Amino acid sequence: MKESLLEILRCPLDKHELELEDAEYDGEEIVEGTLVCPECGERYPIEDGIPNLLPPDMREEAPA
Amino acid sequence: MKGQEWYQADEVAEEYDDKRFSKGGQLIDRREKAAVLEAIMPVEDRSILEIACGTGRFTVMLAAQGADVVGLDISTAMLQQGRRKAQGRELAGTLEFLRGDAGRLPFPDDHFDTVIAMRFFHLADDPEAFLREMRRVSRDQIVFDTFNRFSARSMYNWALPMGSRLYSKSEVSELLAKTDLTLVEVEDDFLAPYGLYRSIPNALASPIRALDTTVGGSPVTDHFASVSYWNTRLR
Repeated sequence: MKESLLEILRCPLDKHELELEDAEYDGEEIVEGTLVCPECGERYPIEDGIPNLLPPDMREEAPA
Repeated sequence: MKGQEWYQADEVAEEYDDKRFSKGGQLIDRREKAAVLEAIMPVEDRSILEIACGTGRFTVMLAAQGADVVGLDISTAMLQQGRRKAQGRELAGTLEFLRGDAGRLPFPDDHFDTVIAMRFFHLADDPEAFLREMRRVSRDQIVFDTFNRFSARSMYNWALPMGSRLYSKSEVSELLAKTDLTLVEVEDDFLAPYGLYRSIPNALASPIRALDTTVGGSPVTDHFASVSYWNTRLR
């Protein structure tokens, strides 16, 4: 994902804006990192350039 | 959501485009892309969200034509296929993929010009809730398709890895009313079911498709149409 995507991503639970932590870049692309909701504390990983915004209750049901 | 596990398997994702959209499937691919483009042209500089974007068939096409596109899917395997496809293309617009739940979209209200969902509602367990959530993040337009009740498709549903939810016209109209959407246009297509096109080579598929178009135009046979494309706007 590009950093500009961050502007439109929201926490799927409370729709709060997200903060980017531990970002690893490949050129303009963020390939690894974590998106954190400062409101509810939920953490969403960026895996191989694709952010995983599945709510926590769907992560076990839906393994990668 | 139906078929979650099947859909997320790596081997299913890798073969998905080949199986679905080669041979007779090319016709469907072309027809579906035309239906989407027709509904949302001009796409240049339009911000578009696709729900259940899969391997990025529509997202890549739309971004190539200058739209700013976000593709959302539940399956990492499918999204990685989409990402690979996009990397080899010159895109006039932008394209981002992400994993998420169609029922709880990770976007603000009224953000996208257009939200599309193709081949999605036949798997939806609660179509009204999904449509409502799509409406929340759209500020103008929603485009989706449904497989119809009374279609030839009903007859081979048993052969799919997951059963399909079929809709009647009045059911969809009711859904639109409940979610405050106005119908702009609905188009019916494919008298013969998808599975038939998929299993036959192109040389044979074209004449059958031609026959479909000829027969499909009359009011009597519209009843048996297999898919409808719905172009709607926010009220």
